Amino acid sequence: MANLAERKGPVTSVVVYAVLAAAVLLAVFPFVYMISLSLQSDADIYSGIPIVIPETLQFSNYVDIWQRAPFARFILNSFIIAGGITALHLIFDPLIGYVFAKMNFPGKGVMFAGLLSTLMIPFFIRMIPLYILTAQMGMLNTYQGLIMPFAMSAYGIFLMRQFILPIPNDLIDAARIDGANDLIIYWRIVLPQIKPALATLALLTFVFQFNEFLWPLIVVSTTEMRPITTGLTLFNQEFFTQWNLTATGGVILFVPSFLLFLVTQRYFIRSVMMSGMK
Amino acid sequence: MLRSTTWRQRQALLAYALLLPGIAYFALYFFYPIVIEFWASLFRGQPLIGNAQFAGFANYTTALSDAMVQRSFLITLVYAVGTTALTLAVGLGLASVLSGPVRANTAVRAVIFFPYIISFVIVALMWKSLLDPYTGILNSALVALGLPTQNWLGTPSTALWTMILISVWKDVGYAMLIYIAAIQGIPAQLYEAASIDGAKPHQMFLRITLPLLAPTTLFLAVISMISQLQEIAAPYLLTGGGPANATRLFSMHVFETAFERLDIGYASALSFMMFIVILIVTFIQFKVLNREVVY
Repeated sequence: MANLAERKGPVTSVVVYAVLAAAVLLAVFPFVYMISLSLQSDADIYSGIPIVIPETLQFSNYVDIWQRAPFARFILNSFIIAGGITALHLIFDPLIGYVFAKMNFPGKGVMFAGLLSTLMIPFFIRMIPLYILTAQMGMLNTYQGLIMPFAMSAYGIFLMRQFILPIPNDLIDAARIDGANDLIIYWRIVLPQIKPALATLALLTFVFQFNEFLWPLIVVSTTEMRPITTGLTLFNQEFFTQWNLTATGGVILFVPSFLLFLVTQRYFIRSVMMSGMK
Repeated sequence: MLRSTTWRQRQALLAYALLLPGIAYFALYFFYPIVIEFWASLFRGQPLIGNAQFAGFANYTTALSDAMVQRSFLITLVYAVGTTALTLAVGLGLASVLSGPVRANTAVRAVIFFPYIISFVIVALMWKSLLDPYTGILNSALVALGLPTQNWLGTPSTALWTMILISVWKDVGYAMLIYIAAIQGIPAQLYEAASIDGAKPHQMFLRITLPLLAPTTLFLAVISMISQLQEIAAPYLLTGGGPANATRLFSMHVFETAFERLDIGYASALSFMMFIVILIVTFIQFKVLNREVVY
């Protein structure tokens, strides 16, 4: 493999490590500063001098914030919405992926092309008609209304199909000869084999849905239906404008994604590298 | 034989039954919305859910001569092309360093990738506090160095590029990971053969790595352009579209037209036009970059 570090003259190595150190610092510093802000007192904030390491850590910010706005409700909403969407993906994406990978029926090619064509329809284009549709179905400001536009994705189905394709047809045919129908084959043979792929799907879906900002901004009209993303914006606008308390909210929003990433980091990165390749 | 006609028919029936929820879902949530959007774009006001007057194609002709629409469209192009080009360039640079035996490279990858998976709400909050004109750390550092300070997100000449750099900061880790995966897939023999022929490292990069990465670059460029052309969170959360509309991206303009000014018909026409632009951009990118893939 040819890359910069392997062709190491000492100068190249120093440059490479200096660039990487700068990149890491740039990636990490905003988070460090946010955590620092969340532990500063009002006096620190109003002093007009930026502080990275506060003299006294103001942990009371983390107590205050729960009293200023229904933060617990925001978090609960986020878990209900992102969790609901993830569950629906886990039910439908592998099943439809299986049908396209291992079953034969007239019209399969056309239907698969039709499915993939939905990848060309970005969310922004659907934003207004989805609002109209959701309003017509009486789902504005409800969990169903927040969940349904993201319930299935061609991307998830395609990913599952890619993982199911390599399962040997002999295995499936043998089960068919033994009289198993495709639902049983799917449940008993295919699903157990693609557990890692299901974990990938769940992880990516949950993390990205937890961050969804635009759709809740459009359909939610009451404070108590907000997920944490739009809840925090509301915070910033209406409840207070102090950086320390806003940063405290930011840290709370950031913790679930961070913990999930920390635990699954190697696996997560491999998933992204795998799923991004066509 | 097991594969009798009746068995095939039964399998087909089962397949259709299993696909039915999916077909219904994609029809209702992906294809029908495009129909509604086009229909709504022929009205003024709030078609299908409120008062509206039929206007034919008037929304489209109005849009083409609407100065704000033209301006925000241009701003969006600068934002999408700028963010995409920088993200890919920096991502490739980091990937070519990190795909090799650099110490702690998996940890470094993870750290650089992490901003990609957090909400833009947090990204905006962090960078607004860092760039705050009065209490922000960047300006204080500039003062300490004796350099002039700047209200980065609050000055028309710097706001758009500041926003672009923040988006690059968030997205670059993803491009980096995809490039690393692609670089690791390039057969080592190619480089061995080239070095036997006396190729210099930069020649190998230009003649082997870059051409072989063309499909990856195409993939990243297409998905980045599609997502940046419809970006709303960045301007909404960082600048509110200001100062003086300098960061009013097209999608944010459409969002406000639809949900704040409640002119859903006009916003639908704008949105439909953007749909066509996105299709054209994707098509051109495939044409241009595909030519380079065949070398």
